[in-house]
Amino acid sequence: MVEPPSSATGDIAFNLIVFFLVCASVQPDSGRQQTLPRSEQETEEQSENIEVQLGRNTVMLNGNILRQEDFKAALHRALNGKTRSEDRVVIVKSKADTPYHHWVTVTEMIESAGGIVTIQTEEEQQVVVPGG
Amino acid sequence: MKVKRRTSQADVPSMAMGDIAFNLLIFFVILARAQDDSHLQWQPAAAEEINAQGTAKVSVLIDNDNKYYVNGQQVGASQIAGEVDALLGDTPAGERIVLFKVHREAQALYFEPAIEAISEVGGDIVHVLEKNQD
Repeated sequence: MVEPPSSATGDIAFNLIVFFLVCASVQPDSGRQQTLPRSEQETEEQSENIEVQLGRNTVMLNGNILRQEDFKAALHRALNGKTRSEDRVVIVKSKADTPYHHWVTVTEMIESAGGIVTIQTEEEQQVVVPGG
Repeated sequence: MKVKRRTSQADVPSMAMGDIAFNLLIFFVILARAQDDSHLQWQPAAAEEINAQGTAKVSVLIDNDNKYYVNGQQVGASQIAGEVDALLGDTPAGERIVLFKVHREAQALYFEPAIEAISEVGGDIVHVLEKNQD
């Protein structure tokens, strides 16, 4: 019986390790593309844009708290009849503790309803000082 | 009297040539993947509809400790825009894809500034997600 030379076992083991490492890291990424309007493209008629506010597990549409199941229908109603792209801009304001999975779920609903997501970070949100 | 110097042959065994070539090949493949971020700890968020994405020059990752990484290298929040811009270079619009990998529990306090930084430098954000199993 002819046995493989024992000096080659190191090479064989190393090659096997490398083979599995390479195989494990070639899985392609999948996801969702999102184009956010640049800040200079934002319309001047911001008061007429639809506004969505996100909390840790809450969602508000133009100031009204909704259940996530009702949000999609309400958003469709709000976007109904708006044909110009600037009218379909939906401003998403998130509380600092809003988790990413919640944000993804809601922005997916907005995009599937035909809305154009734009974000407004906390720093940009107007701070109203009582008595100021 | 002249003493002849002994010569001894020390050839590389030709049997090992295949192994050497293969190891070199793998070595360069791994070097080319040095920008890999597969060692980082994060869990993707789920979505109803996802599409397979092509290759991208740049990936921005927020791990489960809310740390930022650009192409696997840890950076500060304020460095993201500069790093992404440098990596994208003169890439034409439409090809400026930035893979955005965020741990599902990361908070807006951390991921929104990153989104803002990427869009500021003209990156096309692709949220890396997994298919919703429900």
